[in-house]
Amino acid sequence: MPTPYERPAASTEAGPGPRRATRRTFGRPTEGKVIAGVAAGLAEHLGWSVRLVRIGFVLLCFPTGAGLVAYVFLWALSPQTVDGVTRDGRRLADPADAESVARAGTEPGVPEPSEGERDATRILLIGGALLVVGLVVAAQSAGLNARLGILLPLLVVAVGAVIAWSQLDDAERGRWLGSSEGPRRFSVARLAFGGVLALTGLVILATRGRSLAAIWDIGAAVLAVLAGVVLVAAPWGLRLWADLRHEQAERVRATERADIAAHLHDSVLQTLALIQRKAGDPGAVTQLARAQERELRSWLYAGPTGSDATLAAAVAEVAHDVEDLHGTPIELVATGDRPLDDGGQALVRAVRESLLNAVRHGAPPVSVYLEVGPTGVEAFVRDHGPGFDLDGVPEDRLGVRHSVLGRMERHGGAAKVRRLEHGTEVALTLPPPAQHAAGDATTVAPTPPPPTSPAATSPTPASPTPTTAPEETREHA
Amino acid sequence: MPDPQPVDVVLVDDHRMFRSGVRAEIGDALNIVGEAPDVDSAVALIRQTRPAVVLLDVHLPGGNGNGGVDVLLGCRGLETEGGQPVRFLALSVSDSAEDVIAVIRAGARGYVTKTISAADLTRAIRRVADGDAVFSPRLAGFVLDAFGAAAGEIAEVDEELDRLSAREREVMRLIARGYQYKEVAKELFISVKTVETHVSSVLRKLQLSSRHELTAWAMGRRLL
Repeated sequence: MPTPYERPAASTEAGPGPRRATRRTFGRPTEGKVIAGVAAGLAEHLGWSVRLVRIGFVLLCFPTGAGLVAYVFLWALSPQTVDGVTRDGRRLADPADAESVARAGTEPGVPEPSEGERDATRILLIGGALLVVGLVVAAQSAGLNARLGILLPLLVVAVGAVIAWSQLDDAERGRWLGSSEGPRRFSVARLAFGGVLALTGLVILATRGRSLAAIWDIGAAVLAVLAGVVLVAAPWGLRLWADLRHEQAERVRATERADIAAHLHDSVLQTLALIQRKAGDPGAVTQLARAQERELRSWLYAGPTGSDATLAAAVAEVAHDVEDLHGTPIELVATGDRPLDDGGQALVRAVRESLLNAVRHGAPPVSVYLEVGPTGVEAFVRDHGPGFDLDGVPEDRLGVRHSVLGRMERHGGAAKVRRLEHGTEVALTLPPPAQHAAGDATTVAPTPPPPTSPAATSPTPASPTPTTAPEETREHA
Repeated sequence: MPDPQPVDVVLVDDHRMFRSGVRAEIGDALNIVGEAPDVDSAVALIRQTRPAVVLLDVHLPGGNGNGGVDVLLGCRGLETEGGQPVRFLALSVSDSAEDVIAVIRAGARGYVTKTISAADLTRAIRRVADGDAVFSPRLAGFVLDAFGAAAGEIAEVDEELDRLSAREREVMRLIARGYQYKEVAKELFISVKTVETHVSSVLRKLQLSSRHELTAWAMGRRLL
């Protein structure tokens, strides 16, 4: 719809992009990361070289471990981003843009880390572990008492924690409550494994050099305390969880509402405004209303269509075009569909020409019926005007003769104009695509079309093969 | 088609504007005995007035949330004073196949879109009152698709519920092409009464068929 009014908010305040995009909010990208993407995100945020940031982190690690702490800290606090959009649907660069919110809502799942990234992570982990072991051994042999009894359990705890925590990254809510069973089971297993590892480490640490009986006592006491804590905290936790779910649902609904509001604003409200201004012109009002109705209808019922390159869609488009052009309502009924090929294009143009004729010379109601079946394609365009005879049309009137009849014949099809008691009907037929695709469409001799009008022939007992058009015809579209 | 006999009609639609529009358009030719804006009041009104025809919007508030289907279920088995069953004509702006097929399967005798002209609507209501079925071109298209008739599936015997017979298919195709019953009859060299019989038989198949594709198709294809 051409809209004479600008969207008030969008045009005045938040212009599209460039003014705001000077500095991106800090987030961890999923591409180009080595461990968790903290360095890459930081580099992007500050506008520094990634290499520099990484070297900085490594250098900071050595004397005191500050780099490591900073890394973990940043990792825990920063959101993961995909193409500049955080996973909970906030756009980092330009949060004011409703469209991006809508897009983020329908964002498909996060891409899995590539093979290379996983390898890098693995190598880093193994390298780090070896480094620690080496350092410990070196310290031991240098006479320093590293107290392996403490260090080893600590290490186990750390590994368990890392395994369990690494969940947070990819196992977001979606995965947790998840659609796909596989990854979810895997992440649960990983969590359990990490937990058990950490627990084992803690137990070893706590029971160093004590007897089993003492462990029992300690264990019982710990369990009792834990149970007490759980008992006290459970209602709270449950409430928190419920609130969280509620808030989530609320946010999803709000996004949806924003999406719908934006659409209605751009389409229906503008049309209503136009209609009010053109109230004196009934023709224009009808046309506006019909165009708007069609647009809204396709938005409501069609949903996001995959491709427009099908015969039925093309015929529908043509019908709508003619309708808009002349303001005459056209009733379209279509059954079956197939990809749009050369023959289909010809049929669509012929339908358009026939419709234009029907609208100009005939009388409403004008209707189109398209049937795509195993025996080919049939299309009927009919009006209720006084009708005309093809023989009565002078030779120099090229409209029907060339653009409808000739065109169909060149593509192996046929066209017939019938005069009815009330009106005219143009019947267009096209052979099935398999037969059609055998030869070059433009040079093939007009093959005898399959049984055409049901009136002319007996009902066609067709083979019950399903209508699957060959895929190779798709490229013509 | 001048028919002196008055037909009692109840309008069920949740849009007051639309109801008053329809009343203005067809009120002269037909006897409108009542209007209802939602499922519950519609059921009550229909039970009370027992009209010959109910003009029923597919989408209505109230009831179990199924709109027109709830009204149909709530008025099942109802008869007029003349002993005829109360008949329903579905009226909708919706192009969605589930909606249409759902009301037809719940017992509506036909389906027309709200863009229908006043004369056509009057004719359709009279036809429904006479016990015939009213198929708009679009509904015929749905039917051809749902029964796989467009893909060439034809019943061996007429009684088969899951497929259309060859003749029924031809009738449906002609209706989909925008032909009136009279024109269909002329085209196929049969009487209008025979056309009506075929259409009613298609309606019966649509209501009784357990063809699983029917539902699957209606679910899978949201538009046509």
